Order: sequence, then structure tokens, then C-alpha cells
Amino acid sequence: MSLRNPSYTNPKPCKHLEDYKLRHGLSGYKSIQRHLKATPHGRTSVEMLNTGVPRCNSCNGFQGRLYLCLICNSVSCLDHTLLHTQSEDGHDLAVDIERAELYCCVCCDQVYDPDFDKVVMSKHNMGVPRDDKHGDESIGERLVKRRRLGLGVAEELVDLKKSKQLVSMRDRRDKSCYPLGLRGLNNLGSTCFMNSVLQALLHAPPFRNYFLSEGHNHEACRRRSGDRLCLSCDIDVVFSAVFSGDRAPYSPAHFLYSWWQHSANLASYEQQDAHEFFISVLDGIHEKEDKSRNRNRDSGDCQCIAHRVFSGLLRSDVTCMTCGSTSTTYDPCVDISVDLDTSNFSPTDTVNKRSKPNENSSISTLLGCLDLFTRQEKLGSEQKLFCETCQEMRDSVKQMSIRRLPLVLCLHIKRFEHSAVRKTWRKIDRYLQFPFSLDMTPYLSSSIVRNRFGNRIFSVEGDESDINTDFEIFAVVTHSGTLESGHYVTYLRLRNRWYKCDDAWITEVDEEIVRASQCYMMFYVQKMLYQKADEDLSSLPLSPRRDAYLPIASCCERLFK
Amino acid sequence: MSLPNEDNMASQLSSHFFGDLLDSIIVDVASECHRIARLGLDRNLEDEEEELRLSAQARVRVADPSNSGEANSKYVVDIFGQSHPSVASEVFECMNCGRSIVAGRFAPHLEKCMGKGRKARPKVTRSSTAAQNRYSRGSPVSTYSPYSNSTSSNRLSNGTSGVAGEEYLNGTFQEP
Repeated sequence: MSLRNPSYTNPKPCKHLEDYKLRHGLSGYKSIQRHLKATPHGRTSVEMLNTGVPRCNSCNGFQGRLYLCLICNSVSCLDHTLLHTQSEDGHDLAVDIERAELYCCVCCDQVYDPDFDKVVMSKHNMGVPRDDKHGDESIGERLVKRRRLGLGVAEELVDLKKSKQLVSMRDRRDKSCYPLGLRGLNNLGSTCFMNSVLQALLHAPPFRNYFLSEGHNHEACRRRSGDRLCLSCDIDVVFSAVFSGDRAPYSPAHFLYSWWQHSANLASYEQQDAHEFFISVLDGIHEKEDKSRNRNRDSGDCQCIAHRVFSGLLRSDVTCMTCGSTSTTYDPCVDISVDLDTSNFSPTDTVNKRSKPNENSSISTLLGCLDLFTRQEKLGSEQKLFCETCQEMRDSVKQMSIRRLPLVLCLHIKRFEHSAVRKTWRKIDRYLQFPFSLDMTPYLSSSIVRNRFGNRIFSVEGDESDINTDFEIFAVVTHSGTLESGHYVTYLRLRNRWYKCDDAWITEVDEEIVRASQCYMMFYVQKMLYQKADEDLSSLPLSPRRDAYLPIASCCERLFK
Repeated sequence: MSLPNEDNMASQLSSHFFGDLLDSIIVDVASECHRIARLGLDRNLEDEEEELRLSAQARVRVADPSNSGEANSKYVVDIFGQSHPSVASEVFECMNCGRSIVAGRFAPHLEKCMGKGRKARPKVTRSSTAAQNRYSRGSPVSTYSPYSNSTSSNRLSNGTSGVAGEEYLNGTFQEP
């Protein structure tokens, strides 16, 4: 957001603000500084302590908005701000006492100045350690300097050209019109939960590229750890099989066997949860790598492929409602589980019957779920927390946000609720609208924290890495049925066509089918990786050991809807 | 008993106060939106609305029985021109015992073969739920949420020992 949007860090001032700054610099702001009062809710107002109720100089009115002149400190109501600037030359800039916003009396409009916001923000206890080295650097400069940091890891996983030679041989069995890696998976007995997640993993661009370009070397792995269980090796086998060009459905039997050995507690022939399986597989990959590889010493982040692709960072802020001080914690995550936003059912819907029914207000949307996930949540009075500053138990507000986005974002919808009456868990079948293109900017920590303080212009930790916030969907895992008994199906988006992967059956479907489906897990990938993935599909590298690939014929027509 | 005049005054005053409060709130919202718009922080509503429209349209079209839509794919031919039986018929060797097993029955066979039993186990979610439910360290208070979040956290604590072990799976992701 910030880099693409220059008006955020550098809003264009009106002529009067410019003149004012030239003549008075920051002196007016600094003089106001001691009168600024910050509330624990992130708001700021002006308090002229010794004058009692502020009144307009011209009409003595005290109602409505009042504006404090930055030069002479005289107060005017909205009706008389123009009068003030006419009678006193150059007294164009004032501050809204209620909200501490700059107001240009000549333009009759709210204006913005990063320097003023900086002064305002100095009154707030942010709770996050400030980076003192950059005190005087403008936000713009810092953002430009650190721009390149975010791309490092992604570039490695994206650039296939770095890997082995490209080979293409003709495989007569292959149905060449369809993208590589499209292959059904046999259901081995209630294993659709596994098949559905495998399909998504097989087509997560950076994950796929890693395995297809020999990212995990069998021999090296065997040498290091003998015959010990390695889920990555087994996944590698699945990748080879699925991308071999053979279109007959593949039975991931060996993988199931390995996974059951890893997740002993999940090893049973029964219907299971796809999300649990997903977490379990990533954990299995991580565990093995953790023992054998060194951590990246610079950033301390785990370098296993599971984390490099899926790991992000969540930020949790707990704010004391009395003094405003915030305690922040960071937690890594490999996905985000959100509750359905069913709050749109309002009793006032009946009132709206007269007006035109607005569909949007009664549908659950993914953005609504994310809004819910990142909203400020008042912790009940029975959950008071100890505030270090107040040294007392206080009412608090909690807010989640995303500090760092992963390359592949897995969003999991918690489609189950507990019925206190029946004391059982029940599945929520409610439809959830989800976009194909997702902009995660509003959910980043920088956006959320900034918003908490009224969107003042100041830099928030993490601004520099908030570059890749555009995501494209590439897989949707859907569930139909009940909690105890149901069926998972995955929809894959390859080269902008949608394919339904229902165990062994791969069919092409219209995007409408996907939009109307009941989503359970959605996989989004950073947009630039998505675009590159499409190009790569036509020329995937392979090691000499592997089976042949066939380049995609890009000329065929859509065979059927 | 109060005079009619006094009643009038009282209701006038309260309307007046209400009006002031309402004005103040409206100006607050306007000021916030002005800042968001002027600083370019507003969400791309056009794109969002387009996605909503496409989804609404899709639902209508899919619900229409006259649309061929999605046939039950278990009975049709896949895009490669292949058809498959509803129970996978491929036969391969079990890697545990060496017997030849039909793919579609592999899982139940393997369960017995590996000596794993059926387990009754509630559905559990972890990952971000764990992060969501955590406040400042050492908080003795249980988690709270008006939504099902709290109930899922109940699940975590009520699980079997197998579940409790899983609860800390996320712990392995954390940096030491």
C-alpha cells in the first residue's frame, strides 16, 4: 500500500498550508503539543486547560466544532473561521479541538501534514519499541531503502531458471492439452481429506517448484538419516508421479503409510479433517528439516520448505482501556483460521424491508471474516488483565493483525459451532463469498495499527515489507456433508481454468461453480508468483532421473464447459 | 404535576442535546473518511463489489436446475477421457505386510495391518486459533469471544491425550 501510494506519506498540501509551513515551520505544532491529550482509544484532542469551556471569539458560541488558530490561539466556531482569517492576515491554519485535525480556514477543508501527525503521535503510547536510529528520516526514505528486503526469499523459489536443464520428450500416454500435474488421486478409503489437500499442495507454485527442481534430494536425505521417516521424500515421490505425464489416477498409498507413521494419533481409518491433515503434513516436513538443517542465522526464520512457503507472522495487541498502553506479541502461523462473519444477521433487517433489499448486507464474505478476525475485541470484565503501567487489573481490548504475509496464504474457515443446547458440534453450511483476487493490505499490522490511531501519518514497524499484498487464488478445498460424514473436493485454478479434483475424477468446470461452492480452505498465492507460475507450467525443469514431461500445447480450444 | 411548558422545555432540551451529539458523531465520521480518502487509504471498493456481483451471479446460475452445471462426476468420464469405478480398483502391495490390496480398501486394511485402532476424536483446530487466543503471557484468564472461537478453544482443552499433544504442534513452529 504505502509504496504504491505516494499521497499517503506525502499528501499534497494546499497553498495556505505551504505558506504557513514556510513562514512558521513547526513552531505552531510544537506549541500545540503540550495541549494535546491522547485517549486510550487512539484518538487525540486539544485541551486548553485554563480557559474552561472554549468559546468562539466572534460569537461566544460553544456548540459545534471549534477551531484553534495555530498562530494566535484564538478559538473560532465553523461559522467564523473565515472571519478570523480575513481579519488577521496569514492566520489560515487552525486545529479542530475535538479531533486534533488540521483545518485550512481559507479552503474550508481538512488538510494533512506528516509533521503535524508526528507531533500528534508523540503523545500516544505505542507500546512497540521505536526504531530510534531513524528518528529524522522521512517515512518515504525508509520505505524506499528497505523495499528490496521482502523479495529475497520469494525470488529463490520463483526463479526456475536457476535449476536443472529443461528436457521435453514425448510421452504417448499423456493427454497433452491439459496442464501438467493434473492427475486424479484414488480414494483409499475415506481419504478424500488427504487427496484434497494434496492437490492444493501439488499446485502451490513455490512448493511445487521446490520439489520439481530437486529441492529435496533423496540420496542426500538417505545418506543423512538412513531409512528414517521423511515426509518430504514421500511428497517428492508424489510430485514425480503426478507430474510424470501419466494421467491414470495415482494412489498415494505410500504417502498415507508414511503420514500415519508420523502422525500416529491421526492414524485411523475414519473420516478426518482436511485442515488438520494440512497442519500435520507441514509439521512433518518441518520436523525432519529442523533436525538436519541450520537455521538462517540472519533472520532466525526456519528455512524448511513448509515454512518458507506457508509461514507468516501474526501480531496480537492487547491495549489497556484506562491508560492506552499496549502489549504486543508475535506468533508465527502457517495459516489463518477465521470464524464466519454471521454478524450480518441484524434484527434491523426487518426495518429495511421497505427499502430495496441489499443482498450484500446479509451474505457472509471472506473479507467480512477477515474484518472480524482483525477487529478490536473488548475482553469481558471477567477477563481483566494486569496492566504494567497502571499496575492494576484493567479492562482491555485485543486486536489481531498480520505482521508478515506468507508466499502462500491458506485461509481456513471454521465451519463448525457448538450448540450449548444439544451439547454437540454442528457444521455451518452457510455460504461464504470469496474473491479470486485478494488484497490483504487492510489486514496488515501496519494498516490495523495505523487505523487504531486514526490513520495518522507515521511509520509502523513492518511498513517496509508490506509490498506484496496482492494475492490470487489457486485452490479451493470444499466440503459437503456433515461433521461426521462428508466429502472433500478441491478446485484447482491452472492457467485461468478451473478443474474439479474429486478423488480420481478430474473434470473442467466453469468458474461459477467454484464461486458458488461451499469453501472450507482457500489457498492464495502472491500475485507475482501466480503470474510466473502460469508461464512456468509450459516449461518445467526436471532432473535426469525423472520421467519425461511434455510441454503444454497452448493452441487447443476449450473442449467443453 | 409539572406544567405543560416545562415538559415542552425538557423535550426540547433533550432533542437539542441529541441533535448536538448526532452532529458531533457525523462530523467525526466525515473527518475520518475525509482523511482516509485524501491519504489514499480507502479500500478498492470497485474490485470488491465486482467480486460480490460475480459470486451472486454464479450462485443464481448454479442454482438454476435448467443449467447443466456440474454433473455428478462419479458417473462421467474425466477430462482425459477416462472413467473409473466408484471404488478405486488399482491393486498394489501393502508396504507393511506385502499382501496385494485393492486401492479403495487400502486404508482400512492398513489400519489393521499397522495395528492402529479407531479413535473417537473431536475436530480440533490449531494454528492461528492458538495465537488468537493468547493474550499477554501468563494470563490466567480463559479465552473469550462471542463467536465460536471460544468453543474451539474449549475443544482443545477437552481433547484426548492425543489431542493435547497436537495442541502444541504449533509450538514446534516457534523459534527457540
